[in-house]
Amino acid sequence: MRSESPALGMTEGTEPGATCDNHLFLSVRTYEDLLSCDEESDNSLQDNQELHEEAGQSLHNWQLGQLSKPLNKLVLEQVDEENFEGNEDICQEEGGEENFDVKDGVTCKPLNSLEELDFSVRTDDQEALQENDVPRSPGQRNRASRSSASSRDSQDVMSEAWWSLNKHVFVLSEAGKPIYSRYGSEEALSSFMGVLLALVSFVQAGKNIMRSIHSDNHTVMFLHRGPLVLVSVSRSRQSEQQLAQELHYVYNQIISVLTITQLNKVFKAKQNYDLRRLLGGTERFLNSLLNLMQQDPCFLLTAVRCLPLPSSVRDSVSQSLQQARAKDLVFAVLLAKNQLVCMVRMKDQVLHPTDLHLLLNLVSGSTSFREGEVWTPICLPKFNPEGFFYAHISYLDEACTLCLLLLSTDKEAFFTVSDCKRRVLARLCKHDLVHAVQLAMDKDSYSVSQAGVPDLQHFIYKCKSTSQFTSPEMDAPYNSTEQRERLFGLYQQLHSRIHSASRPLKLIYHVWQFETLLAWVTAGFELYTCFSPLVTKAAAIHAITKLLRWIKKEEERLFIMNPLTF
Amino acid sequence: MNTQRVDVKLVLLGREYSGKTSLVERFVFDRFSCTPYQSTIGNAFVAKRMEAKGKNLTLGIWDTAGSERYEAMTRIYYRGAQAAVVCFDLTENTSFQRAKFWVNELLNCEEHCRVYLCATKADLVGDKMARKVDLHDMHDYAEEMKAQLFETSSKTGQNVHELFQKIADDCAEKLVFTDQTPRGVNITKDAKREMARCCVK
Repeated sequence: MRSESPALGMTEGTEPGATCDNHLFLSVRTYEDLLSCDEESDNSLQDNQELHEEAGQSLHNWQLGQLSKPLNKLVLEQVDEENFEGNEDICQEEGGEENFDVKDGVTCKPLNSLEELDFSVRTDDQEALQENDVPRSPGQRNRASRSSASSRDSQDVMSEAWWSLNKHVFVLSEAGKPIYSRYGSEEALSSFMGVLLALVSFVQAGKNIMRSIHSDNHTVMFLHRGPLVLVSVSRSRQSEQQLAQELHYVYNQIISVLTITQLNKVFKAKQNYDLRRLLGGTERFLNSLLNLMQQDPCFLLTAVRCLPLPSSVRDSVSQSLQQARAKDLVFAVLLAKNQLVCMVRMKDQVLHPTDLHLLLNLVSGSTSFREGEVWTPICLPKFNPEGFFYAHISYLDEACTLCLLLLSTDKEAFFTVSDCKRRVLARLCKHDLVHAVQLAMDKDSYSVSQAGVPDLQHFIYKCKSTSQFTSPEMDAPYNSTEQRERLFGLYQQLHSRIHSASRPLKLIYHVWQFETLLAWVTAGFELYTCFSPLVTKAAAIHAITKLLRWIKKEEERLFIMNPLTF
Repeated sequence: MNTQRVDVKLVLLGREYSGKTSLVERFVFDRFSCTPYQSTIGNAFVAKRMEAKGKNLTLGIWDTAGSERYEAMTRIYYRGAQAAVVCFDLTENTSFQRAKFWVNELLNCEEHCRVYLCATKADLVGDKMARKVDLHDMHDYAEEMKAQLFETSSKTGQNVHELFQKIADDCAEKLVFTDQTPRGVNITKDAKREMARCCVK
């Protein structure tokens, strides 16, 4: 029996949670796959290595001397002229001595910390605008009401409090027009965005790509995709890759609203187009995405969390979803509180976990789906960044916890799809499945103690071949938000060490102050475990084997093992 | 195909933030949410049964998104609509200009569609200064377009039911007419008729 094999999960396909074939999701091995641009993901490794060497040499001669001292690390990417958006793994560390003049007349002084990265913002007219009592235009009012929604938004930009926020994310166009800022209004930040763009284009003029700037407390991460420049400024200890991945998610979220075709079209027609006109009302999805990424490991792992459910219930729910069969209906997805209950797909079509995350964010980021049935275009960038799906979104219960998404390719199919929904609901009600799923949702998913492994406080297990993961509730001592964030931070650190591009690891055993963490990655799975601080290495290794056995035993409940197709 | 019978297709149009969703919420669920503004994503569909002229009929209401992004899609929704409510915000003149655009669009593309103008947020214009759409302009325009005009407030509920009742009544009259000659294609009936013809031949 494969479950009793001592080498459980050492090879792909034998790990707990693995199914024979028939996968729901594209299996994403590491998130490096995600980071490379879709078109050029297959750039040969060789090229990369060659470039790496060249870049190493040329960067030494490059103008790094011009950088100010306390910016202790600047990471650039050497650009091959023909392959402009090329390869991602070229890094170089350098420290310079002198001041550094950026072309467009913006000067940066030597910096001691990011706070000083100048930006004597607040021009006179902005002040006037704020003090003025003239009634504001509706656009502004919308924005104001929106900002009051997102908690700390109304703050003065550039104030002490604004600077001390943990992570800022800015999106701007290549023409320097502000598109999105996580905190504070975009207008007030327009000169700041100008500085960001100046940095990017200055480096670009030298046939390089700006990737990141590191100061003592901050990392500034840049991502230039198509006509958009995305920048994050963070205090967290996340790795560059993780920060870049987050920016990719932000980019994908924008694409999911517009499609890449439309995005390119508007900027081709008018370079200084104000994209906020088209994005209007979707900022809250960017906000909610950024918040979700701070707490949900699904983004980190590019995997999907399933609602633990007795396999008999899950199978019947899948069969009910199968009733939604209709022409052009590609995916039927049932979500419960940010977890996947089940999904039925058209034969030969698989969903990328990233796309499912965007759907999760769409549902959790808005309350406007609670009334009636919604029919909306949505692009799934990993599936196809050029076209829209049409999503029928409706809640199946009064408490609005169980959400059904039906994705069709036909924009006029609303009534056909709406009919599918009625069939699904009828079938679910007939077998009392809505209630059964609600029951599973009401009680906490499961506690780590159920695994019966001593000293184990928490774990995250990802089955690589199916891109699904599971983890128990965060019980004490992780029952406060602070503690949870701290643990998540530790997982992030482990993850970045394991997936470090320069030195990937298979196993890490790390004793921290309050806990001992052990991460183990094989071809089949990724496992991150958290033990009490006093555990011994031998005991931890033993515990892991025991844990894997338990997951194997419970796999039917924790994972979707029998996905169906239409 | 469609098991849920909808007698009247009604579509709500207007600039973003003109109060379409609030209007639907007040009418269908009789509530007004004071939560911060959220723009509608895509198009929402709700069905509501009501009585008009002694008949029961179901209004299928399409609440469209006002955002520019969805404009191309919105056109699908007013196609074949029996009635359209064009909303504009009394406290904002641009939304009135936008309403004119929608009215023109409807007159050009859907001549059978009845147009109702709905001036929303009437509770906010108690203070004359807040009113940004001139009362006379508004009435003149409605008259010129032969559209009925309602001043509503979803917050207080003022005129909301009157508006939808009027639509239902107007459409109910028309339904008597359409009952005799169904406009929608009934596949089963037609198929039978076709088959019959075949046999005769």
